[in-house]
Amino acid sequence: MKKLDLRLLRMIWHSKGQYISILVVVITGLFMYTFMNNAATNLETSLYEYYEISNFGDMFIDIMSITEKDAEDLKHVKYVEDVDARIVVDVPVIVEDRDERVSMRIMSVDGKENTISKLYMEGGNRDLEGREILIHTQFAEAREIKLGDEIELRISGRKYVFTVKGFVSHPEFTYVMENEQTIYPDPESFGIGFIEEEYLANISGMKDRYNDIVITLEDYGKFDQVEKDLEDRLEDFGLRRIVKKEDQLSNRLVHEEINGLKQISGFIPVVFLVVAAAILAAMISRYVRNDKVIIGILKGLGYSKARILSHYTMYAVSIGIIGGAIGTILGTIFSGYMTKMYLQFFYIPLLKVTVYPENIIAAIVLSALFCTIAGLVGSRDAILVTPAEAIRNERSQTGHRILLDRVKFIWTRVSFTWKIVFRNIFREKKKSIFISLGAAFTIAMSLMTFWISGMMTSVFDTHYGEFLSMDYNIDFKVPVHESSLKDLEKIIGVNEVEGKMEMPFELQYGRNEKFVSIIGLHTDTKVYNFEDFYGNRIELPEEGMIISSNLAGVLEVEAGDRVLVKNFIPGMDDEYVEIVDIIDQALGINGYMNIEYMDDKLAGRDLISGAYVQTDKRITEELSDLKNVSGTQSLKEMRDLFYEYIDLAAASISVMVVFSGILGFVIIYSMTVLSINERKLEFSSLRVLGFTKGEIFGIILKENSVMSVVGMIYGLPMGKVLIDAMRTIYVTDLYVFDAPITIRSIIYAIVFTAICLTFAQLITYRKITNLDFIEALKSRTS
Amino acid sequence: MENVLIKVEKLSKHYQMGEVTVKAVRDLSFEIYEGEFVVILGPSGSGKSTLLNIVGGMDTPTSGKIYFKDQEITNYDERKLTSYRRNEVGFIFQFYNLMGNLTAKENVELAVEICKDTLDIDEVLEAVNLNERADHFPAQLSGGEQQRVAIARAVSKKPEVLLCDEPTGALDFETGISILKILKKINIEYKKTVVIITHNSPVAAMADRVLKMRSGKIIDYYKNPEPVDPERIEW
Repeated sequence: MKKLDLRLLRMIWHSKGQYISILVVVITGLFMYTFMNNAATNLETSLYEYYEISNFGDMFIDIMSITEKDAEDLKHVKYVEDVDARIVVDVPVIVEDRDERVSMRIMSVDGKENTISKLYMEGGNRDLEGREILIHTQFAEAREIKLGDEIELRISGRKYVFTVKGFVSHPEFTYVMENEQTIYPDPESFGIGFIEEEYLANISGMKDRYNDIVITLEDYGKFDQVEKDLEDRLEDFGLRRIVKKEDQLSNRLVHEEINGLKQISGFIPVVFLVVAAAILAAMISRYVRNDKVIIGILKGLGYSKARILSHYTMYAVSIGIIGGAIGTILGTIFSGYMTKMYLQFFYIPLLKVTVYPENIIAAIVLSALFCTIAGLVGSRDAILVTPAEAIRNERSQTGHRILLDRVKFIWTRVSFTWKIVFRNIFREKKKSIFISLGAAFTIAMSLMTFWISGMMTSVFDTHYGEFLSMDYNIDFKVPVHESSLKDLEKIIGVNEVEGKMEMPFELQYGRNEKFVSIIGLHTDTKVYNFEDFYGNRIELPEEGMIISSNLAGVLEVEAGDRVLVKNFIPGMDDEYVEIVDIIDQALGINGYMNIEYMDDKLAGRDLISGAYVQTDKRITEELSDLKNVSGTQSLKEMRDLFYEYIDLAAASISVMVVFSGILGFVIIYSMTVLSINERKLEFSSLRVLGFTKGEIFGIILKENSVMSVVGMIYGLPMGKVLIDAMRTIYVTDLYVFDAPITIRSIIYAIVFTAICLTFAQLITYRKITNLDFIEALKSRTS
Repeated sequence: MENVLIKVEKLSKHYQMGEVTVKAVRDLSFEIYEGEFVVILGPSGSGKSTLLNIVGGMDTPTSGKIYFKDQEITNYDERKLTSYRRNEVGFIFQFYNLMGNLTAKENVELAVEICKDTLDIDEVLEAVNLNERADHFPAQLSGGEQQRVAIARAVSKKPEVLLCDEPTGALDFETGISILKILKKINIEYKKTVVIITHNSPVAAMADRVLKMRSGKIIDYYKNPEPVDPERIEW
């Protein structure tokens, strides 16, 4: 081995604590990068492959009723490639526990193979007859249903027992959500079933009719043109909405998750690599400064500038390569687990955990690049110095007064050790700034993490505790007159029942448009508490509409603007409606109107499409017997589901907290060790003067503490910047996860940062006790 | 006929120290011949280290020329200067300047492995009486032993000239003498030109040629008719 390389190895061994600590930062950064990026790539490639083989649709149409012939005719619309019409109904599943609410979305399948959004068989037999059903694998697994088991459904008020013929997955249900209001899938209480078309048509009262169409296009670029044509053609059939591929609920949520993963994988690891690179650059520049004479000697021996530069740069490059390799390998292994964890939410039957060599190479190159740049920046002084200059004895730095020094009133009252502390802070500005940056990074990262944790709980508490105060949300299969609520009250034995009219409409403002559910309520509603972003209560207006802030964002409207509500109800015209106010709503994207105003302007009938119930009673059993109830949501169940999710999120939040702690620890530890090594002579002199090891450690502690406090002060606004960046991930069309930064989050972040930094300090105390002061005073070798 | 190894012509070196220009070396001209043992004598600040650094290609002059075997090194670029230091010159310093985390032998190997034509390391270590201590780190060696490692490091490269900057400056009398004896031995046995700079005037007695400096100028330059054995030097 070349002797310069041997020296490098021994240099690494001598500084193994710092080397390992920086390595840990690089490993962490690369681990997170590979781990998330691979999981995102696994999900994305598997999803595309699945869409490819199942011929995923381009256009999804929700319609009241269309005949087979009329649906077939859509094939003649320009740019339409293929059309598949289906019957889709939501039905209750009758289970042993009468209090448990389980429902299923039933979709018709042809006896032969569907041409668009094909089923993917995972067990059993595809051939269906009569009372046979194929069920989604996730539902089957969650409820431990086996082939040949029987499943009891209530369709159009009658009970039907179906035999499970097979397990399937479906490309439109990779993320099995009941609707846009539910934020997490719950495969135990909501599943998908497939029944032979003719039989389903007979029992659901949809003979020769369909209410759902999926289309593939010859040219996806012509979507808007086809959409317009179809809106005109389907107006008389009760067109509810046309959804493009990107907005298909399941597809959209999977992509949001993939994009979120990619965003985080491109952001957090860079923070770690930048920190590692900054520590390395600082460390190497210190090494180069301390090795000035050695560099002169090497030049004197005939070593070239490039060789000397590479000697110091290799310290950083080795960290980049080793850290990159370990981080990438660990990340690849764990990405498999993470991808599998996603199976709890997403169901992609072809999900493959693949090792992506290009990701591994990219990660190692990225890491090596960061560290090489750090190494070159740190060691650039090595090439600037001439050999003669290098070996010349260093003149002692001219002492100068610091600013504080000149304020006699204060300076004369400062103790001797504090004078040393302040002078060192101001003389070693770069090091001091770096230590403060360590504290700033830690507090910023931990504040962001505590904010996410608090925000999640706060958002759900607000949404399900304050914004919504109903206990049950009931949807009717067919709209009924409001007087029917009296019957419902009698059946369930509850008086607090409120009717609603919920219908999908397309809102248009300028070039922006969005399909959303508009909910009609009574002005004195007791189940919704509307507030603006500042917490001011907003009353539901008699006329006009209030909308959620994310909808206002999509349409780019403000209060006072008038939006066009496109109406597909036969006989009803499009209407302009004024936006009266914008409300703060965490989950879902909606507009709200007075129910009478809505009937008058949009619905045209004095009807209700569902009801809200406030009661402590369990009413699931009573509701399951009602023919016209298509679905029931219990807020308690939603909350319970959320708390299950929170447990999962808590694990990843803990990991983030640990990672932010690592950052602070490494920066403070590396800088302190570097400082101790450089100041051996100074500390030895203090020892000769009679200072104890504890007192010397106290000087370092004070220096670092002052800079840590400074760092924590400007780290809090940095944390806010990070939080604002994270908000872009948590604010989408479907949900607005946002909350103010609370005092509690700030206190947690301060305490956590202080603990991490104190721990790093205490570890370095060993360096002081192990310092050979006599050797330091006489040392002449490097 | 003696061959000129190094020829210095009207060499000057000025430093800028703030607003003051320091004239470290002023208009020097002299020659050093192959195989000579030369002592450059002068008090602290007389410019001798500056002169040695420029001759060794470690620094550049403000004006003047230096020829090494008839090649002008003062117009060499960085790459040529590196090659010159690597192949033609061996440096020895007052404070040894060894790599603390390499053993004595590894310190020598460090110099050898970048040169093509080198001496056998074990042989050189034996010549400086260090073969028993070859695997020790500098911190485990005395000052004299460390200086012997530095000499072995410089000699093993088989340079044409050894440039020694106060090689005995940090050593006691007896150790200093032993180092001078080794340098003399290398001068004779390996036929290497040795240039020593020192402020210690008795050392001049062992030189073939003596160059005395003061305030950056040569105040005397003469050939020693009867160089003495290092053992007979006293200070």
